[in-house]
Order: sequence, then structure tokens, then C-alpha cells
Amino acid sequence: MKKLLIALLLVAAPACLTAADAAKKTIAITGGRLLTVSHGIIENGVLVIADGKIAAVGQAGKVAIPAGAEIVDARGLTVYPGLIDPETNFGLIEIESDQNSTDLAEPSDEIMPHMHVYDAFHAETELIPVARLNGVTNAVVAPASDDTIAGQDIFIQLAGADRDAMILGRDVALAMNYGADQRRRGGRGKSAFPSTRMGLVSQLRQTFLDVQDYIAHRDAAAKKDDKADPKKDEKKDAAPPKRDLKMEALIPYLKGERPVVIGVYEGYDIETVMALAQEFHLKVVLDHVTHSQEILDKIAAYKVPVIVGSIYDAPRANERFDAVYTLPAELAKRGVKIAISSADAGGPVSSHSSRNLPYAAGFAVAYGLPYDEALKAITQNVADMFGFGDKLGSLDVGKTANVVLANGDPLDVRTDVKQVYIEGVAVPMVSRQTKLRDEYSK
Amino acid sequence: MYRPSPLRLAKRRALSTLFAFLAFAGLPARAQAPPQDIVFRNATVMTASHGVVEHGSVWVHAGKIAAVGVAVNAPAGTAIVDATGLWLTPGIIDPHSHSALDNDVNEATSPVTPSMMMIDAFDNRDKALYQALAGGVTTELLLHGSANMIGGQAVVIKNKFGLDRDSMLFPNAPRSIKFASGENPKRVYGSRDQLPSTRMGNFEVMRQSFEDAKSYMAGWDAYNAKVAKGDKDATPPKRDLKLEALADVLRGKLYVQIHCYRADELLTEEAIAHEYGYKIRAFHHALEMYKVAGKIAPEQTAIATFADWWGYKDEAWDAIPWNAVLSMRQGVKVALKSDSNDHIRRLNQEAGKMVHYGGATEDEALRMVTLNPAWIIGVDERTGSIDVGKDADLVLWNHDPLSTYARAQKVYIDGDLYFDASLPGLGTTHFSGVMHGDSNDGAADEEDGQ
Repeated sequence: MKKLLIALLLVAAPACLTAADAAKKTIAITGGRLLTVSHGIIENGVLVIADGKIAAVGQAGKVAIPAGAEIVDARGLTVYPGLIDPETNFGLIEIESDQNSTDLAEPSDEIMPHMHVYDAFHAETELIPVARLNGVTNAVVAPASDDTIAGQDIFIQLAGADRDAMILGRDVALAMNYGADQRRRGGRGKSAFPSTRMGLVSQLRQTFLDVQDYIAHRDAAAKKDDKADPKKDEKKDAAPPKRDLKMEALIPYLKGERPVVIGVYEGYDIETVMALAQEFHLKVVLDHVTHSQEILDKIAAYKVPVIVGSIYDAPRANERFDAVYTLPAELAKRGVKIAISSADAGGPVSSHSSRNLPYAAGFAVAYGLPYDEALKAITQNVADMFGFGDKLGSLDVGKTANVVLANGDPLDVRTDVKQVYIEGVAVPMVSRQTKLRDEYSK
Repeated sequence: MYRPSPLRLAKRRALSTLFAFLAFAGLPARAQAPPQDIVFRNATVMTASHGVVEHGSVWVHAGKIAAVGVAVNAPAGTAIVDATGLWLTPGIIDPHSHSALDNDVNEATSPVTPSMMMIDAFDNRDKALYQALAGGVTTELLLHGSANMIGGQAVVIKNKFGLDRDSMLFPNAPRSIKFASGENPKRVYGSRDQLPSTRMGNFEVMRQSFEDAKSYMAGWDAYNAKVAKGDKDATPPKRDLKLEALADVLRGKLYVQIHCYRADELLTEEAIAHEYGYKIRAFHHALEMYKVAGKIAPEQTAIATFADWWGYKDEAWDAIPWNAVLSMRQGVKVALKSDSNDHIRRLNQEAGKMVHYGGATEDEALRMVTLNPAWIIGVDERTGSIDVGKDADLVLWNHDPLSTYARAQKVYIDGDLYFDASLPGLGTTHFSGVMHGDSNDGAADEEDGQ
């Protein structure tokens, strides 16, 4: 009966771990090969987890194991920080062909900054346990790329009691896109604005000017209300603007307070959109850049981080077969801080393939990216880009204990993940898929 | 009645086209010359048929594999390729591709189109062929899409990128035909208020087609019987390309390759095959095979499946990455396939995933992208493993080919070098000019049902 109850709980809420948070034990993972990300590799290492955080990291014999700690024998295993996927649609999609289960983008207008992913995020999605089993413990959830401004991202943890526990950050970034795909109103038989890149840029520039104007009016009205302001009579006509959620949503981004992730592929599109971004002092993270080989030095000169890829984007006709495979290495060589995402990686639906995130990083290693950089590109660098660098991304004391144990090199397709810890809790290594496997393996 | 097979026609056309092309383009007729003999020395030879030969050698003579072992007796003076630190495998074989068809994948104007010949759409300059070659792919089965219950007839190619179209055809490969089932046909025709719009409709369309084919065959049998008796006044029935193709299915002249996902439909397809007396060579996708593998294994129908794709539609919802290995353990011959211009470039990695999902040995995993797909296509006696007498379709890798880190260094087809990553530029040895295909990026069959 008890077993049945547990099984039912797992079926009912595979993404959430209702019982999990209750039991934050002290755990010592001993004998493993620790890939710390921040300070190299420790052979025969010890990692102590207490109260959901990393309490100690070091070589065997140099780290005190607290009395009463649960010992996890990790001899022969590799221990590394949970992987962080910088671009997913988790909780916005279930079955791609089923419109009722998707909330990917709001295509009624190009400028949709007031679309908040947290309003649609379906925490119980079956996709999350599937990705978690391969060591993905955190992710950015972004809307799809239909709009030039598609909405605002959330930063999640792939386990937690409920939606609120899983969302670590709301509105952590603005999702922007620029290029041919956003010109959708110019299709056959359509003639609505904007139908060209000129239209898209003009619309974006006007929007940003409108926000600046909105801020000015709002600030002026606020001053008018301030009785200490001696010039208040001169500002009679400064009525507070009607609250406009679209405008409000863009304010932190125009003030440069939060990152704007710009999905863009072609070199000339990057130059256009970066000129616009610099004009308005946006804090940019470039995304994709897969057909920009001719301006890599310029990208480096922008001094912005880049989520590079998909590494699997096809080169153009008559380009060398590895024109895109080598991009992560080429950017890292130029000093660019890079991340690698699962978006467009390895399947007809990207987020279903988030479990392949480490393999994309490994493939970048095959084409010249140093191994350390590849591991950082799916851990620490992602955490840094989205404001979680002090909490996640490496095996360091004080960080959240999101830790993975695998039977080999995490970036190799042959490696099997044995155990995932999220906030120091051993996550059941179960997904809808393992249940089907077990049911039909009897 | 004599009807030249498409391959015979192709061969007939091949010589004249090739000469015309070479004369026009002014290219050296390199493809015509027999390739130089080679000995690969000191490689980790993964044979796919009889395990691994460490520090092994392979002698390639006249385009065929002449010897395999720790040492081989090649004549003195044979060119040597030092493969120290490298891995040698058979060429990767993709049993389910829609590359190089310029999006002419589905003749989605009728649910039964068996006389469509994919060779008519084959564009030998498509960049997808080059990118697959750079991933070690030497043979592909180019299939019709899945919009129709009974689609068109496939073309089998050797990926000799840079040669003219007809020189890329796999000589005398068996003919295959593509069937489909499930969501795609019913969506395509249902959305137009046509039959079929349900799975009931799907299968009834098939049965009626075979009933029509049986009548057609009976008509021809009666006519041929009259002719055999010397009846000079006998009038032949009208030739019908569609029914001729279906009759060839019933006569066992076509390998039947069926796009099919759900367990119940796998069983229904086998039942209909029994009812009309044809064999199913392979189920493609077959994401629920693990549920019925024990029942399908005795039918000797193979599967060509994805390593880990899932969730893109309802009938892919029960897909699990253990499908391949679970099915294999129950006696089903398993191949992995790309169905994608993207994945075709790294099928070796997809095989590597099978070590992870289910614990396949490296030998078993490698067979899923070499010898087993060769069997599905019907060319396993000629390619797909490193065995004496087989075509020298070989790939040299810089790393264990089942790892994430492997890059194809050199790709040989029929003993001739077609790709060499160490060369500047594209790394091709026979290609010049302009590639096609930028409009086809990302076109997977699964998106093509429309």
C-alpha cells in the first residue's frame, strides 16, 4: 500500500517533489572524481552537502565528514554541478502537435514584453523529469521566437514542491528576436506592418522611444506629487500617464538593469540589432549567431556574452561542413563568454531534447572548444548570465547543492547519470519514460 | 511483360549522361578509373560483424575489402594509410532519409501513390549529401514521405558526392516502397474532408488498394495464359502504373518499408501483410515496438527507429530511448535512422547513446548504423561491415566513433576517397561547383506529413 501511494504520488506530480524538501539530510559523497568547474578536477574527492547547500569540497582526508552524515560511495563516478540549460520551453509545451498543450508565444503583435512566462509555466510537465535524468537541474524558460519582443523569461530549478518553489527567478530576462522569421506579416496575401526588417527595426526603435517618454512622464508626474518640489506649479500639465503594462514591462530593460537575450543568426542582422541595442544601452546577451562567421571579431568587440548555437545548425551550401560546429571554439578563443543551449538541439522539438544539452557541449569540444570551457558553458557561465552565478554553476562551498553523479564523462553520449541531487535532495531517477520502460521490461 | 526496372533504366542512362556531363564540365573522369589499392595499418578496426581488431590492418583491392586482420598480405608497393591512433569502421548507412529531394518528399494528392519514383526528385548536388558524407554516411535509402498510406518507391544511393546523379545510385539495389499509417495520412486527407480521416479509413484504403491489385494481376495472368497457349488475338489489359507497383508488392518484388508508431498499428500492419501475402521488411519510427517486440520478432521485420526523439505528436508520446535495445533483446533487428538532414551528420553518436540507454555493447550499437540498416535496404551482402569481399565503404575516425568526440577524418566509398577532413576548403575530392539545398534546412519527415 505504501509503495502504491508513492507510485501514485510520482505519477501525479513527476516534476515536483512534494516530499523532497522535508528531508534535507547531511550527505557526504566520497571517492568520486569531482569536476568543480571553478577550481579544477579533484580525484578521490569528498563533497559534503548540508541543509541543501554545499558545505565542503576537497580531497579525501582533507575534508571532515560530519558525524551522522549519510555516506554516498562515489568511487568510479564523476561528480559535477547540475547542468543549466539557457534556453528551453519547459512548461510551455507538452506534445508539439497538440495546440491545447502549448503556450509558446503570443503572435498577435511583435512587441509583447508584458507576456510573463511564469503565467503559463506548467510545473508538472513530463519533460522536466526526462531532462533531469540526464543531469539538467536548472533552466531558463523563454517564449518561442515568433515576436521581436516575445516576453520575459523565468529561471527554474527542475524540482520543487510546486511551481513557486521551482521558479527561482521571474522576469529574469527579456526575450528578443531579430531576423527574417519575425517578418511574418509580409507573407503571401498579407500586407500588414511590419513586413520587412526596416519595419521591424522602426517598430522597435519607436517602442523604446515610447518607453523613454513614458518614463519621463511618469517621473515628471511623480515630482509634481512631491510637495517639496518648488517648481511643481510649472508642471501642471504633467498628468501621470495611464498605466500601460507593455511600457512598464520594458522599463527595467531600458534602464539596463536586466539582460535582454537577442536571438539572431546572420552577421548582418547582428550588426543591425546591436546598433539598436547600443543606441538604447541595453544589457545584451546574444543568442544563436550561427551564421555570423564573418564578424566574429566584431562580436567579441561587443563585449557581450553569447549563447552560441545550436551547434547543429546546418551550414549554408558551399560552406565547410564544420562552419557551425567550430563556432563555440572560435568565440571562446576570442575571449567571449559563451553558453550552450539545447534550443534546436537534436530533435523535432527542442525542449524534449534538453537531455542532450551535455552532448552539444561535448560536440563543441570535438571541434576545438577546451573541455573546461565547454563544461562552464552549460553551468557557471549560464548562471552568471542570468544572475545566479553566486548560487549555482560550480562545486563551491555555499552554493545550492545541485549535484550530479555519472558513470563517466558527462559530455559523452555513452555516459549514464546515476543520481541527481537538487537542493541536496536525491531526486528519484524516474520519469514517465522509465515507468514505461520498466512496465514493458517485466 | 517486360518493364525495365528503374535501376536498369538508370544504368542505361548513366553512361551517356556521365560522358555528356564530363565533356561539358571538362572534369577529369576520375570516377571511372578504378581506385588505387590501399592498406590501412594499425587501426582499431571495428568490423561490425566480427568484433574489433586492435592494431588491425585492412587491405582494399579494386574497391573491395580483400583482407582484414592483425596483418594482411598485400602486395609490396600498395599505398599505405597509417591509421595509428585512429578507428576504422564500415561506412554509416541511413535507412530513412529524405535528403536531396528538393522537398519533393510527398506526392500528397492521393493516399495511394506507389508509382512515384523518388529517383525523379533526387538532386545529387544537395548540400545535405555533403554534410552527411562529412559525418561518415556512405549509403542512404531516400524514401517518400508519410502523407500517404502507400507512398512512392525509394532510391538507394552511395554518397559519392561530386559525381553525376546516376553514378551515385547503388547498383542493383533492391527496390523499396514506403507505406505509412497513423496520424499523418489521416491528418493530411482528413483536413480536406477526404478518405482517410481515421485509422479505420487508413487501413481500409490499403485493403481496397490490394484488392484492386489482385484483380489487375488476375487480368494479366489470364492474358499471359492465353498468350502462352498461342492465342494471337488475346488483348492485353491496359497498363496501370499504380496497380503494377502494387502487384509487385504482392509478388514480393518490393521491400515494404512502413512508417508506423503505435503498438496496435504495428500488429495491424503485420495482420494485413499476412492477409495479402507480402512481407514487411522494416517498420520505420516504430517508437512503440518495445511494447510488442516479442510478437513482431518472429515476423523478421526489422525496425529503423530514433535513438531518443519523442513528444512531437501524440503517437510519439510513449517513445522511450530504451526502445532500440529492449526490442533488440527480444530478437528484433534494430537500425537507427536520421529522418533528418541534421541527425544524418552524427548517426554514430546516436548509436553511442544506445550504450547509455539500455547497455548495448559497442559492437551492437555500431551494427545499428551499419550492418542492420544495410539489411533493411537489402544490401547487407555488399556493404555494412568490414568483411572480405564487401565494398570498401569505410570511415576513419579520430576518436571512438561511438563517443561525442569522434570526427570522420576520411570517408571511402568503393575504395575511393570522397572526403578528407585534412584538405583545405570543403574536404571533398570529387566535387566542384555549386551546391543546392539551402531552402531545405531542417526538413524532417515528421514535419512533412502535411
